[in-house]
Amino acid sequence: MGLSELFGREVEVTEPVLLAGGASKEAWAVDADGEKLIVRRAAATVMHHHTLTLAHEFAVIEAAYAAGVKAPKPYGYLPDVAGREAFAMARLEGDTIGRRIVRKEELAGARELLPVQLAEELAKIHSIPGDALPFLPESSIDRMVAELDEVGEPHPAIELGLWWLRENRPPLRPPVVNHGDYRIGNVVVGPQGLVGVLDWEFVHLDDPVRDLAFGMVRAWRFGAVEKRFGGVGDAAPFVERYNELTGRDVRPEELDYWELAGNVAWAVGCLTQAQRHLSGLDRSVELATLGRLGAEVEYEICHLLEKVGAS
Amino acid sequence: MSERPTAQELCEAILEFLGGEILPTLTDHRLRFRTLVAMNALGIVYRELAALPVEDDAELRELAAKIRAGDVPAGTLDRVKADVEARLRVASPQFLETYR
Repeated sequence: MGLSELFGREVEVTEPVLLAGGASKEAWAVDADGEKLIVRRAAATVMHHHTLTLAHEFAVIEAAYAAGVKAPKPYGYLPDVAGREAFAMARLEGDTIGRRIVRKEELAGARELLPVQLAEELAKIHSIPGDALPFLPESSIDRMVAELDEVGEPHPAIELGLWWLRENRPPLRPPVVNHGDYRIGNVVVGPQGLVGVLDWEFVHLDDPVRDLAFGMVRAWRFGAVEKRFGGVGDAAPFVERYNELTGRDVRPEELDYWELAGNVAWAVGCLTQAQRHLSGLDRSVELATLGRLGAEVEYEICHLLEKVGAS
Repeated sequence: MSERPTAQELCEAILEFLGGEILPTLTDHRLRFRTLVAMNALGIVYRELAALPVEDDAELRELAAKIRAGDVPAGTLDRVKADVEARLRVASPQFLETYR
């Protein structure tokens, strides 16, 4: 599959195992001369238009790796793997399943370490120079509105969330390179805590606090709802370490604002995922069900709006 | 409720899953037969749902449009939350327990 060209020598490649297939990208596990790799390859169907292309995602991982972020080591971009573009990166060992990370007995020590480790990683991600990645989109509330309108269903709870976000916007911070999906479930965790940061397809330019608060969204606490930071711990040690490293002095009300924004984004995300099924692009019971489970996120939006004393 | 996927669309998704992904893996004759019977039963539900009138979502659309326009009188949140709660009692009743 083109790996020999990448390594510059004839490598012995194991039979690729499909880990995840979706509407836009596949992930294959393969070993090349004993090196454990993931090959991300474009799927047969059309791209989801709010994510980075494979070539751009690879460039982002290269930039993150060069900035010292625990991203998987990038091996190379492969323009033609059986007719489609792809790239190869290191396959990291550890847990990625959210429910396991917040519950597993053997990871109790890791949970203690994760808030500070994830703060340190995020500080590094936010220092990646954005001008080297000129293709990165900027995110905004308008984009969430546009995505909601594409779905075309009435969702008053989401509208109420968007309304409150427009009315109560904190002073803008200069945009930084945002991971865009920085949460438990998208990081690899071992007994010593953080092994690596995955899922780089939603990277964009945005207010740094967006990334900081996204992992606090209730859905990403995986049932451990009392632990605001991703079901693994309190928000305080995470935010304090981030502030210490960046000098940004993020205020609690900014976190509340962006936690609500994260919930609105995920509520819209549930609907767009269900659309992948309904449109026939990617038929799946799992995606279909997300259309209904979005009500959980809408309930959380209402709950958070009550907390801030909205109408 | 006019929610998507509708109950009928959910039946359709499950039928596709059973027929496309589960059935081909079954070698046990009894299990194959019982799965076909289950799919048939689900087909009955699917067609019965097709006969139901489509629920009118005009009121919901109107409310969504008003909020979009910034017309949010006191009491809006209570009303919206009650609607979401009613949907959750169907979609995910155990989730509401996590707020108790």
